[in-house]
Amino acid sequence: MERMDQSAEAQLQVRFVTKQETYAVPDVPFSVPQNIDTSRLNKLLNELLRENAELLKPTEFDFLVLGQLLRVPLIEHLQEFNESIEATVEIEYVQRTPAPEPEDALLHDDWISGIQVADKWVLTGCYDQTINIWTTRGKHQVSAREHTNIVKAVCWLKQGDPSGGFVTVSHDLTGIIWKWEPSEEQPKPVTVLRGHERGIDAVGVSSNSERLATGGWDTYLKLWSASLDVEDCYEPFHKKIRGVQGKATIARTPLHTLKGHKESIVAIQWSESDTICTASMDHTLKLWDAELCGLRNEVVAEKAFLGASWSPLSRTIITCSADRHIRLYDPRSTEGSVCKTLFTSHTLWVSAVTWSQHNEHLFMSGSYDECVKLWDTRCPRAPLYDLSGHEGKVLCVDWSNPKHLVSGGTDNSVHIFKNRQFN
Amino acid sequence: MPKERLKRKISGSEKQVEDVLEKQKEEDEDENLWNVVNDDEEDSSDSDGDIEESEEEFKIESDDENDEDHSNTDDEEEEEEEEEEDEEAETDDDEDLSEKTVGNGLRDESDVDGSDNDKISDSNIDNSKHNNDSTNQKKSKNTKKQGLKNKINENKNETKTVIEDEYADYDTSDEEDIRNTVGNIPMNWYDEYRHLGYDWDGNKILKPEGQDQLDAFLKRIDDPDFWRTVKDPQTGQEVKLTDEDVKLIRRIQGQKIPDETFDEYAPWIEWFTSEVMKTPIRKFPEHKRSFLPSKYEEKKVEKLARALKMGWIKTKEEQDKLRAKKEPQFYMLWQTDDQADEMRRIYKHIPAPKRHLPGHAESYNPPAEYLFDEKELKQWNKLKDSPWKRKLHFVPQKFDSLRKVPAYSRYIKERFLRCLDLYLCPRAIKMKLTIEPEALVPKLPSPRDLQPFPTVLSLEYVGHSDMIRTIDTDKTGQYLVSGSDDCTVKIWEINTGRCLKTIQTDAVIRSVKWCPNSSLSLILVASGNKVILLNPHVGDTLVCNKTDAVLKDAPTTDIIISERVRTTVEWREPEEDEYAKGYRAVLTHFKEVTQVTWHGRGDYFACVMPDGQNRSVLIGQVSKRRSQLPFSKPKGLVQCVLFHPSKPFLFVATQRHVRIYDLMKQMLVKKLLTNCKWISTMDIHPGGDNLLVATYDRKVLWFDLDLSTKPYQTLRLHGTAVRGVSFHKRYPLFASGSDDKSLIISHGMVYNDLMQNPLIVPLKRLQNHKSANDFGIFDVHFHPLQPWVFTSGADGTIKLYSN
Repeated sequence: MERMDQSAEAQLQVRFVTKQETYAVPDVPFSVPQNIDTSRLNKLLNELLRENAELLKPTEFDFLVLGQLLRVPLIEHLQEFNESIEATVEIEYVQRTPAPEPEDALLHDDWISGIQVADKWVLTGCYDQTINIWTTRGKHQVSAREHTNIVKAVCWLKQGDPSGGFVTVSHDLTGIIWKWEPSEEQPKPVTVLRGHERGIDAVGVSSNSERLATGGWDTYLKLWSASLDVEDCYEPFHKKIRGVQGKATIARTPLHTLKGHKESIVAIQWSESDTICTASMDHTLKLWDAELCGLRNEVVAEKAFLGASWSPLSRTIITCSADRHIRLYDPRSTEGSVCKTLFTSHTLWVSAVTWSQHNEHLFMSGSYDECVKLWDTRCPRAPLYDLSGHEGKVLCVDWSNPKHLVSGGTDNSVHIFKNRQFN
Repeated sequence: MPKERLKRKISGSEKQVEDVLEKQKEEDEDENLWNVVNDDEEDSSDSDGDIEESEEEFKIESDDENDEDHSNTDDEEEEEEEEEEDEEAETDDDEDLSEKTVGNGLRDESDVDGSDNDKISDSNIDNSKHNNDSTNQKKSKNTKKQGLKNKINENKNETKTVIEDEYADYDTSDEEDIRNTVGNIPMNWYDEYRHLGYDWDGNKILKPEGQDQLDAFLKRIDDPDFWRTVKDPQTGQEVKLTDEDVKLIRRIQGQKIPDETFDEYAPWIEWFTSEVMKTPIRKFPEHKRSFLPSKYEEKKVEKLARALKMGWIKTKEEQDKLRAKKEPQFYMLWQTDDQADEMRRIYKHIPAPKRHLPGHAESYNPPAEYLFDEKELKQWNKLKDSPWKRKLHFVPQKFDSLRKVPAYSRYIKERFLRCLDLYLCPRAIKMKLTIEPEALVPKLPSPRDLQPFPTVLSLEYVGHSDMIRTIDTDKTGQYLVSGSDDCTVKIWEINTGRCLKTIQTDAVIRSVKWCPNSSLSLILVASGNKVILLNPHVGDTLVCNKTDAVLKDAPTTDIIISERVRTTVEWREPEEDEYAKGYRAVLTHFKEVTQVTWHGRGDYFACVMPDGQNRSVLIGQVSKRRSQLPFSKPKGLVQCVLFHPSKPFLFVATQRHVRIYDLMKQMLVKKLLTNCKWISTMDIHPGGDNLLVATYDRKVLWFDLDLSTKPYQTLRLHGTAVRGVSFHKRYPLFASGSDDKSLIISHGMVYNDLMQNPLIVPLKRLQNHKSANDFGIFDVHFHPLQPWVFTSGADGTIKLYSN
């Protein structure tokens, strides 16, 4: 009885707002108990929606208070931000990101070190020096062995278009540009990228698919032409070198070599048409100008980076380092710390991160603790979902196709999760 | 108000006087009037005799009598007669008056006979006014004696005195009888006008006819009273001072009490006596604070006393002394000569030594063991000539009771001796140095400030099936090589924990070392009694291929290898299958090799065979493919050798000592004394001036080679034998691993400043390995670039700790 009285008297004025017109409710303040949580807010909101419009099925919402997702009772959330409970609290609600659904697991022969999805094709690079292409349905389409050492990273040349070819880089100091049509059995290596002195760890293709950048243990960032045309003659020269397996492939030399990193480059992404974002083990993030071939910006951190991803939607960089934290950097900010948010939930090193291509708040991460997590930047304390399934360290994740969240790891398998927002 | 009216009347009459100057009749009238007034007063004072009578009544009475004032002429005549009498009579009259006016308490009236002392008590403030009036009256009588000639003046004088007396009285100002109503203003304001002010009725008071100089002069000549004539500024009239006035002025001038009647020597009435009364004069008791000594005063006194003591303030004597001293000032060249002894006593007072307290022996009834037996007594007696040698200066005695204790015969003497001691023996303060043991421990910085350093287990490299004795990394921090008891060498990718290569050998791997020369891709592997030069074929293929090319053809040399070396080691080319595994050269030794190490340039390497007697250390050269035996004599059981990172020095650790040899001069430079039983391994700081030595007896010793041959610091952090110790190449870190499975990370900062000793702070203990066969951690190795550390354990795993 007493408890009821208490809860009855501890009321808060809230107002619901949303940016999704279909779920709009009248802009009137409501009185809710202080310790209301997400599920009860959901119930309340669904009631309201039923009154206003004839929404048939109840929808799950997430609630944003003060720019952060509500995960604890409202009062605790407000207290955490030292916010007054006198004023009317504005609660923004968004449709909750549905939980990804495990779709398939693609079993390989060795560790998966690189993965990217284009349309329904999953391209993987493997420690057994092969590259494989699968459909998201789990059908193995292609397996090719051209590299002589472990393949470290793979990348489609055209986003979402498998016929545009792909590039793979390996610890055999070379990268290979491949040509492949979905109908073909075997991809054809177009050209070999020669120039690196040590293993290549990362590759990135520019948004217009004209150039690509590679970086690795020799600390150099090299820019290459991404053209599939062998006779494309804006390159200085071509060389004919006999491939290791006796196949004649044409070698291509880098357009530019950018020096600046002191240790190996672990992640490369073209942020805009002429900017390359690189992360390195020497604790720095560097933004390069691909046109002028110079350093544009630099972010120095405390830990060695293991991965990074730049989002064209939010224009920020999410990074993972040799510790259990994921850090969000805003390279544009000048004052204060460039590290904006710390996401901590993994228990071991986080090896890979990638932004969602459709939502500026979502990203996924894979870690050595055998876990893939889906995050919302507005909720730094806990991930939205844990995507379990791996039985070994996760080495690579990809979310290029908004429909599929894929990850590969040392358990030799690629796990595909379906994003239910897009089915 | 009757009185006001009265006054008005007076003033009005005065005006009359002024108008008709010579008319005596009117003057008489005036007198009459006065008498009337006086009568009034007298009557009223009569009535006042009855104290209970109300004032109102009195007023009514006086009113009535005022109405009748003109009729009372008889009384007036009587008065006149009295005036004719001499002074004696006057005194009588006064007496009469005083008798008449009951309550006349003013002393000036009583001075004549002093009979009014008893009337003081009767005096009444209300009455006093009337009394004054009566005195005025008396005065007026006196003036009448001056003669008729000056009647008018007299009259005025009278009025004046009335006015003055009014001032002197208690009356409030509204009752003042000021004929001129201008008030208390400077009268020169009216200098310009013909009038002096305004009377009660608002009429102008005209200035009297001005006298010219001649008149004044004549008057001075004629008038015998000219000297006592003054001008009243209020009225402009000339006023002749009475004798009383003159007397008063004289008294004031003579600085006497103006009032003649005042008794200066009146008997003293003691209100507060020195005698203690039974009841207090004041009702309330003394306040508590009057019994408490004032703290403020005490402080003040203390302050003053201190100031005096310190010589900040000086007593008068001292000041005089100083002043006297000041005259001829001569300065002492040596200040100590004339320093005051007093100050020394104040500052450095040395208390007399305390006497020993009496013990059991001094007791009148000491326990039996304190009593002398025969032998002791004999001994005591023997030392008669040198009593200071005796243990006790007396013979303990036993008495039944305190009563029976006789007087102590030596009391006076002992007191005297004590005094002599105090007087003659100089006392001095001995400075005692008290150092807390805590103060000697240096303040170590907090580990939080010394980051980064490895703190958490991040990766495990699993693959070996037996204990891993040794690990090493390549220069870029990409690969890790490990050698295990399962006779395999494994190459690992550091970042992912992937085993890239496994090379099977024939025997237990005791030591692996990656070539520090970045243009060579070589690993030295000590496997059994073989040392294998291994090309791992990872990383830069160009370097790998070049290394292969370099090592492909053995250089042919003319130098004949001595018999001693030939029996020690044999270089041979690898066989085909060995070559495929990566072997590039194989050195077969005559004894088991426990350790290999590279020289900083990557051409020379040293092998250690502890059982090799005088051939236990062997230095090989990759480029020439030959070996040397640097030492001809056995120095002991060699445990470990190291090359100095920059100088041509070789560190050789035997069981108990570390010897440093100069390889160029071929001589012993230094011998480090470890003071331990058995050295296990050592590592040198990249700067080359500091050496860490791990021992099997649980210690880690830090030698500062510039400092001394003894350890700069001994760290006893491990519970069991320490097997691995390592410096970080870049960060000021070192780590040690032991059989108790614990890895201890410490901060070891070496400063460029030669004056500053290295700072050693133990930071973290990490315990993740499992124990196997009582072994814990075998080898510790830092990542070449990151603040990460690898440990290899007996449990067959390698662990990576990162920050």
